[in-house]
Amino acid sequence: MMNSMKIPSKRSTLEKKLDKLILALFSVLFCMCLLGAIGSGIFINRKYYYLRFDSSEKQFDPDNRFVVAVLTMFTLITLYSPIIPISLYVSVEMIKFIQSTQFINNDLCMYHAESSTPALARTSNLNEELGQVEYIFSDKTGTLTRNLMEFFKCSIGGEVYGTGVSEIEMGTAQRSGGKIEVQKATNAALEKGFNFDDARLMRGAWRNEPNPDFCKEFFRCLAICHTVLPEGDDSPEKIRYQAASPDEAALVTAAKNFGFFFYKRSPTTIYVRESHVEKMGKVQDVPYEILNVLEFNSTRKRQSVVCCYPDGRLVLYCKGADSVIYERLADGNNDLKRTTREHLEQFGAAGLRTLCLAYRDLSSDSYENWNEKYIQAKSSLRDREKKLDEVAELIEKDLVLIGCTAIEDKLQEGVPACIETLSRAGIKIWVLTGDKLETAINIAYACKLISNNMKQFIISSETDAIREVEDRGDQVELARFMKETVKNELKRCHEEVQQYLCSASGPKLALVIDGKCLMYALDPSLRVMLLNMSLYCSSVVCCRVSPLQKAQVTSLVRKGAQRITLSIGDGANDVSMIQAAHVGVGISGQEGMQAVMASDFAIAQFRFLTDLLLVHGRWSYARICKVVTYFFYKNLTFTLTQFWFTFSTGFSGQRFYDDWFQSLFNVIFTALPVIIIGLFDKDVNAALSKKYPELYKEGIRNTFFKWRVVAAWAFFAIYQSLIFYYFVIASSTSGMNSSGKMFGLWDVSTMAFTCVVVTVNFRLLMMCNTITRWHHISVGGSILAWFIFVFIYSGVVLPKEQENIYFVIYVLMSTLYFYVTLLLVPVAALFCDFVYLGFQRWFFPYDYQIVQEIHRHEPDNSRIGLLEIGNDNLSPDEARSYAIMQLPGQKSKHTGFAFDSPGYESFFASQAGVYVPQKAWDVARRASMRTRPKTPKN
Amino acid sequence: MKEDDPTVLKAEYSPSDGWRLTKIESSPEELTRVDEAEEKFTQQELPACKPILTPGLVITTLISIGIIFVPIGLGSLSASEHVVEIVDRYDDACIPSNGDDEAAKRERLSFIQNAKTNKTCIRNLVVPKKMKHPIHVYYQLDNFYQNHRRYVKSRSDRQYRSPGSEGDTKTCAPESEVDDHRPIVPCGLIAWSLFNDTYGISTKDNPILINKKDIAWPSDKNSKFGSNVYPKNFQKQDPVGGGKLNESLPLSEQEDLLVWMRTAALPNFRKLYGRIETDLEADEKITVVIQNNYNTYSFDSKKQLVLSTTTWIGGKNDFLGKAYISVGGTCLFLAIAFILTYVIKPRPLGDPAYLSWNLNSATR
Repeated sequence: MMNSMKIPSKRSTLEKKLDKLILALFSVLFCMCLLGAIGSGIFINRKYYYLRFDSSEKQFDPDNRFVVAVLTMFTLITLYSPIIPISLYVSVEMIKFIQSTQFINNDLCMYHAESSTPALARTSNLNEELGQVEYIFSDKTGTLTRNLMEFFKCSIGGEVYGTGVSEIEMGTAQRSGGKIEVQKATNAALEKGFNFDDARLMRGAWRNEPNPDFCKEFFRCLAICHTVLPEGDDSPEKIRYQAASPDEAALVTAAKNFGFFFYKRSPTTIYVRESHVEKMGKVQDVPYEILNVLEFNSTRKRQSVVCCYPDGRLVLYCKGADSVIYERLADGNNDLKRTTREHLEQFGAAGLRTLCLAYRDLSSDSYENWNEKYIQAKSSLRDREKKLDEVAELIEKDLVLIGCTAIEDKLQEGVPACIETLSRAGIKIWVLTGDKLETAINIAYACKLISNNMKQFIISSETDAIREVEDRGDQVELARFMKETVKNELKRCHEEVQQYLCSASGPKLALVIDGKCLMYALDPSLRVMLLNMSLYCSSVVCCRVSPLQKAQVTSLVRKGAQRITLSIGDGANDVSMIQAAHVGVGISGQEGMQAVMASDFAIAQFRFLTDLLLVHGRWSYARICKVVTYFFYKNLTFTLTQFWFTFSTGFSGQRFYDDWFQSLFNVIFTALPVIIIGLFDKDVNAALSKKYPELYKEGIRNTFFKWRVVAAWAFFAIYQSLIFYYFVIASSTSGMNSSGKMFGLWDVSTMAFTCVVVTVNFRLLMMCNTITRWHHISVGGSILAWFIFVFIYSGVVLPKEQENIYFVIYVLMSTLYFYVTLLLVPVAALFCDFVYLGFQRWFFPYDYQIVQEIHRHEPDNSRIGLLEIGNDNLSPDEARSYAIMQLPGQKSKHTGFAFDSPGYESFFASQAGVYVPQKAWDVARRASMRTRPKTPKN
Repeated sequence: MKEDDPTVLKAEYSPSDGWRLTKIESSPEELTRVDEAEEKFTQQELPACKPILTPGLVITTLISIGIIFVPIGLGSLSASEHVVEIVDRYDDACIPSNGDDEAAKRERLSFIQNAKTNKTCIRNLVVPKKMKHPIHVYYQLDNFYQNHRRYVKSRSDRQYRSPGSEGDTKTCAPESEVDDHRPIVPCGLIAWSLFNDTYGISTKDNPILINKKDIAWPSDKNSKFGSNVYPKNFQKQDPVGGGKLNESLPLSEQEDLLVWMRTAALPNFRKLYGRIETDLEADEKITVVIQNNYNTYSFDSKKQLVLSTTTWIGGKNDFLGKAYISVGGTCLFLAIAFILTYVIKPRPLGDPAYLSWNLNSATR
């Protein structure tokens, strides 16, 4: 509970900026009204006798100009109110709702077939925020990794075994151009914790290797030196290992698979069923007496076991970090040390977790000698741990190196590729994990977040100095010392960072910090320095952090740097982080729903972030920007024509347009096309969005909704409104046809309104990147709707209304003037925009425009193709299960109905495996799958 | 069920039998089409054309606009040139005093407001070019706010349309009824301020008839103003605003009123007075006898008499032609400018080197 925070309600950054725009529009409205009001106060005068200004009506009382101005102000506010795009909010909400429910939730690219989980947008008001994310805070376990340790490779006596290729190696190979043929089979673990295949070691084949003795010691070390408890039946298939860490379980499982099956433990003995030791095919049970166990801790970074063979041989097996093992090796055999060191580096670079294995033969005399000291230390009452460590040092020396193991902390599928894509998109990824420093760094390597040519800053509490103070046990002293240390470290790093920044091509920077230091670094006095520094780093890893600290780091960037943040996690400990970020993403489809329940979007796999951000986020952002700016332009243009008219009416607040025109302008004549653009506009297609992740930077920089963009729209709105008003007015000053008759106010205003509707709709077409059938229908439909409306409206006599518009359109259309003006005004109004667009594209092209041009000749069916390449494993069954998932009815809301008969869920469960279509839609879906040319092949 | 079975089955659930399959009628193709359309929608793969505003397209569009617009502009400009128009301002000439001081102004007002004074005024005009009939006679008022809110809304279309709605004068304030609450027909400020100058035109030898029929739009005449609605109580009490109406003629026949009541959009406007059905020769001298009744002297206004012929485009209006020519000309000019810049500073279409991240790495 201490880690929980109150649930924030999230609004997107774009919407907040939109509020500012609306506020600006309100002030423009106010200024316009004030201007008009002052004008009306000045204008009013008894000399216009035909207007009969007198005190009978307050608004037209020439004796009280102030009241006139105030009342006119209110009139003008209603008159100019269309400048505030109220329908914008409704339209945007509608667009976002469809985007999230129809597009994000149904995207096949974000559908995880194995767990049958589609993406889920749990809120619809953050879609465009996904297009502007600059910082991603990711949990490690369950998000980046599968929390699955697999024995992957090993090096025995200077020889590397194991044919597997880790994700990271594949990524490297792909970047360098070569393609690695990967068999599916090698990637799938043979057993939980064991993903190793090398014929040279398996099934006793190690006997024929150059160093069979090393192999034997290696396997025995794996089988004996651990603290694992076996559970269940003692057959290799059924046994389960209980281990403190999944690494240990993986190592023991590996030993089992190599033929050294640890099946039983008693307090003093470990029983190992060894195969092929004496000769091929022979199996024997060997009990090893465990004399001492020197346990693992973070200081020692190693673990040793002294055991006695049945034949009396005394051996110390030791496994641990390479740094500590190498210090304690016996002299000589430098070749082996060197090659093993090379292998360690190779494994490390591949993102694997390594352990060195070593042994030492003990003579019984020296052992007895040592054991006395050990017992003494063990029974001491003060500083027992310290003494035990010291005693251990005495025996853990002159070790013989056997080799090393490499365990893969299995990454989620596609994580390194996804992270690389995201970082190319200008997104910085921070890993916030509760794991240890080494693990975190290891994963950062595996995910390509940190590489060897990066400058790393490590701020850790695991230093000798701190440990010393810790040992003294004075908490106040410790806190003071820690703070001081962290401060100094930060200062040092910060200075170094500044140096690197000054030099032109400095290396990329990475910061690793652990939870304890973070606690002090988040102190208000140091916070700024931490933030400044971490913003320069391309990746940041925070390890051993509490859930609350995760949230604090997130808010640090969110509030301190004003950047848009996204948090992704799968567990309850990520909830506060998910809530603290602008966008929270939960990993769904696994056990535990807290993260999903707290999230704004739920996806099944980390790699779907690429689609969620680069495709949906980017599109949503671009679309919403277009919708917002277009609404702004449209309403401004419309209102300004009204505003210009006010100047020629003696500031009386006379409407230029009929009431109905004005109210239906936003609702009918211009409503639908903008929604269509908000749904369908695509600058580049999904595949290209992912191929050119850099396009995403346009969103981070907020390219499409800068004040500069808004100003450009405002400029064109003013220009166009002037064209509408003055062109229509100026061209209507003389006789309108050969009979010499003149137009009245309503004829002119209907003419102007027609021009506005036509122009505004065509302007929309000009801003489209893709034009579908729906664009044509909606734009054509809107213009048509106007004509149909005005034909009917001017043809009927409405009760209670003035008949201003009566017959107006017919009068208008009977003159040639109408057609000549209708051609002239929209072209004159749009031609400026057109030239601007052409000029901008030519000389200052946006990146997406270049990409459009590069791929201008390619057909636009890439996404369907991508599905088949990317999700080749989507078998018809899986496709079907997806189809069922997507069917109507399955996702319907809870209606409170309860009845004890097989519901959908249980029915499907009972039918599992039986291939009978249960629903009409299901049959339909399958029929369509069959006729579709490109069905996923079985 | 086999995969290639073409029949479409429908699953039905009944409590007694559980699920069972039955054949349904609709064809699989139909379902497939709906299905695919839906998938295209949700996967955002709707077929679309992707127009790219290439330099070629910009130049082509500009040139074609130019090519279409310039001839239209020239055509309408020449049509406008063919219109012969005589404009004569008479408000300052048809008044005894023309001074700018207060006294002169008062004198002007007392002259125009006095019903007894002789307001006849004679203007001699010369026809500059041959004017073919029909020649339209307009009066033009400047600085007259027919579009003022108080003015525009002060009318009652229902009253004008049918005699039954005679009392429907709520919207007509302040000119809705006379003191004893009898409604004014036609009510409202617009009708009240009816323009009432009259013109009589004659050449050297004989008077020319000004035809005052068919000067209002047919819709006004036929349906907006009733043929059985007669003026009542009109201009019967002070203040008297403008012209009076013939009480024996229905509103629909009083075309002067109809024209006046189609309120103008701007404070400077022209309204049709009548038509001359004879040709006027060039240099012919015509005499206009004006009854200068209408008070525009209270505010700074102008009264003008306009004689104008028309062509297919209407009266004299250079604006449309000039606008067309300037838009078309600008387009052609810009097209040439674009072509020149294209030659001087070409940008190859779809060159990855122009991508911002490539530009940055190139400059580094």
